[in-house]
Amino acid sequence: MIAFLRFFIPLLIVQTIAYVVVSLRARARERERLQSQWRDEGQPGDQEAFVEAGLEVYEKSLRHKLLLAIYIVPWVALVAIVQWVNR
Amino acid sequence: MWVYVKWTFRVLVVTIVAAFLHYTLPQHDVARITDTYTKRVDFGENWWFYSHAGAGDAEKVGSRDVFFIAAILKNGKPMEYRNEDTGWGWPPYFKFNTSNLQTRAADLKSTADNPRWVVITHYGWRSNLYSIYPNAIAIREVDSPDVRIIPWFNIIFLTLLFALGWAIRVRWRRFRAARIHPVLEEVEDSLYAAGDAIEEQGGRIRRWLTGRRG
Repeated sequence: MIAFLRFFIPLLIVQTIAYVVVSLRARARERERLQSQWRDEGQPGDQEAFVEAGLEVYEKSLRHKLLLAIYIVPWVALVAIVQWVNR
Repeated sequence: MWVYVKWTFRVLVVTIVAAFLHYTLPQHDVARITDTYTKRVDFGENWWFYSHAGAGDAEKVGSRDVFFIAAILKNGKPMEYRNEDTGWGWPPYFKFNTSNLQTRAADLKSTADNPRWVVITHYGWRSNLYSIYPNAIAIREVDSPDVRIIPWFNIIFLTLLFALGWAIRVRWRRFRAARIHPVLEEVEDSLYAAGDAIEEQGGRIRRWLTGRRG
């Protein structure tokens, strides 16, 4: 059990750091994209409101949810390796 | 002088990475198993090259019984493998079926007169000097010793690893070009400009300063 935790906890920490960094970066890029979209569309209304509304849509999008793969993929790989090696 | 230091460093890094991968990645041997046995191992200098515990067993013991598989390779040379759990530790093979593997190996024993060929997947190195053995991961029987083995895992893994290394390298260079070089150049410019200005007259200094600040 200790051996498992010694493997599990560092992996979880690394995954969390990766998730936070990547999601912040993705959000910043989405914000930049929305700002340039706002300019391209002829600056309709308040920029901040436009960007915030766009980010809210982004939060619910599949693209945003795909970031959870940072957590899921290593675990799927782990289960696959365990099954394959110990077959 | 610096060129030698730089290249020595580079060669050293590449050698260490290559050796690490060569030790850790799976390799395949075609062999026939001649014996399976258990041997007490008192870990010494070769401490690093053993697992030290079956999954769930006590850890950090000074010595323990280790399963071994003795084999004759296709080319006639002798080879011995240890058979140990990697458990949750390094390298991440997550091998827990050591006892099963030993049973299978014992079942596949054969003689030179009537050989049964097997492919032994393993990682690690054999060294007579340090009494270290590669760790057997899997054994499968094959019809002929001339079986063709394509190391799919290594092909995919090394490709992905290279892609990752390249991606990091490109980003690092871009970052350096965008954030570090301008700063260095500015410092350099300032130094040169300062040198020039000192040589020339006071008015130039003022013009340079205002030019820089503006």
